[in-house]
Amino acid sequence: MGYEWDFGVVFRDFDLLLLGLVNTLKVTGLALLFGVPLGLILALLRLSRHGVIRIPVGIVIEFLRSTPPLVQLFWLFFALPILTGINITPFIASVVTFSFQSSAFFAEVFRGGIVSIEKGQWEAAKAIGMDRGQSMRRVILPQAVKRMIPAFLERVIELMKTTTLVATVSYADLLYEANTIAQATFRPLEVFTVAAAMYFAVLFPVSLFVRRLERRLGRTGEGTVH
Amino acid sequence: MTELLKIENLNKSFGALEVLKGIDLTVEKGETVVILGSSGSGKSTLLRCVNFMEIPTSGRIAIAGKPVGTERSRASGRIQVDYRESELIGIRATVGMVFQHFNLFPHMTAFGNVMEGPRTVLKLPRGECEARAETYLSKVGLADKMHSYPAHLSGGQQQRVAIARALAMEPQLMLFDEATSALDPELVGEVLQTIRSLADEGMTMLIVTHELGFAYSVASKVLFLSDGVILEQGAPDDVLVRPKQQRTRDFLRGHATYKLPDLAIT
Ligand SMILES: Nc1ncnc2c1ncn2[C@@H]1O[C@H](COP(=O)(O)OP(=O)(O)OP(=O)(O)O)[C@@H](O)[C@H]1O
Ligand SMILES: [Mg+2]
Repeated sequence: MGYEWDFGVVFRDFDLLLLGLVNTLKVTGLALLFGVPLGLILALLRLSRHGVIRIPVGIVIEFLRSTPPLVQLFWLFFALPILTGINITPFIASVVTFSFQSSAFFAEVFRGGIVSIEKGQWEAAKAIGMDRGQSMRRVILPQAVKRMIPAFLERVIELMKTTTLVATVSYADLLYEANTIAQATFRPLEVFTVAAAMYFAVLFPVSLFVRRLERRLGRTGEGTVH
Repeated sequence: MTELLKIENLNKSFGALEVLKGIDLTVEKGETVVILGSSGSGKSTLLRCVNFMEIPTSGRIAIAGKPVGTERSRASGRIQVDYRESELIGIRATVGMVFQHFNLFPHMTAFGNVMEGPRTVLKLPRGECEARAETYLSKVGLADKMHSYPAHLSGGQQQRVAIARALAMEPQLMLFDEATSALDPELVGEVLQTIRSLADEGMTMLIVTHELGFAYSVASKVLFLSDGVILEQGAPDDVLVRPKQQRTRDFLRGHATYKLPDLAIT
């Protein structure tokens, strides 16, 4: 079958694709901005000694992790307005959904890093008179952060790929723009090929960086968590 | 002499397991008390109760004449001691502890490790923290390793940094829990030497060790712990040379199976 490739139509509308990419990065970036600190808070709460804090937070995290992000997005965008009467824009719905959704995953990455630190470190900190907060800040987290960087970056890559779902609520991300152009030009093959290449161009370097980092951390004998 | 540590009828259980069963112990300022006992006899638990890493199930502990915790009579007539975490944190800051596995902070240099307590816990000005770090690292003979990370130090050096870290808090009491048990034999000496010099300077210390020769030469008092009670205590000569209890004799025999004859060279 001889297919006539014609990338001309794609590049005529390339600025739209770029705009889409910017919007994808915007949602990803904002989801990180809110999701990372929220994830750290959730992780710390889930490590609380008090069951009344630990258990509900655990349930929230597991709920967010075990429901499809698309369902969460639809619920926020289509279902919540029925309940509250407040309509939210696709952009807000996307950012809120992915902030919460990613925070649950980040929380588990952070928690994994924290619990991977040997008990002796807590003991040594306690023995010189540190309270739990000081031990966490000065002794545990600085070591844990190093161990969780690779797993964390994997999650960031995952997050950016998952944001393609926002196209379904008509938020003009890269996938949405690609789809629009494909339908207008009848050139889905070229359009989606270019779109895939654009995702790849952003994510592959991150992925390479993670790989390098893991090797380096592995060499210095610092284990990493997943 | 002043009483630095007074333990009365100390009990500690983990669930149904009674580990300490009524320990009474008084330690004078400047004394070096060595605690012996077989594995599982409760030596670590006793030390960990003294700095409240473990909360005693019952009994009284007074440090420098001050009882720790608040006593409360219960309806049953028994006395219950309540501990506030803030008070315990204050105790831990004045009681140094050295662990078998050093537990240095691997992300900090030797200098950083020693400075950490004064800085984060005592909140001293930076200059003073640095001065303390220098003083105590020099004291343990590691002035030239100040900027090394623990991973680049030998076990003996790491343990000496850990001792300096505890000393930097300028504690009134030091606890050593098998400080040399994880070390290669050729590194044991330098750590024992460091502990010995502390004893000579009049530091009050509780030392758990299996180094009987060291115990004999450094201790002002030796305790033999067995099944959570002090079976025997007294001067090194009494406990190590002329033990009264059969269990103590068995323990000592077990630890001196391969005794070398005195060295022929002098
Ligand atoms: N946190 C804990 N929870 C439950 N049991 C414990 C705990 N800590 C100690 N034990 C138990 O208490 C007993 C005494 O332990 P401890 O560590 O005090 O003994 P030890 O004399 O220091 O022994 P070793 O020479 O092996 O270090 C052991 O049976 C131990 O399993
Ligand atoms: Mg022990």
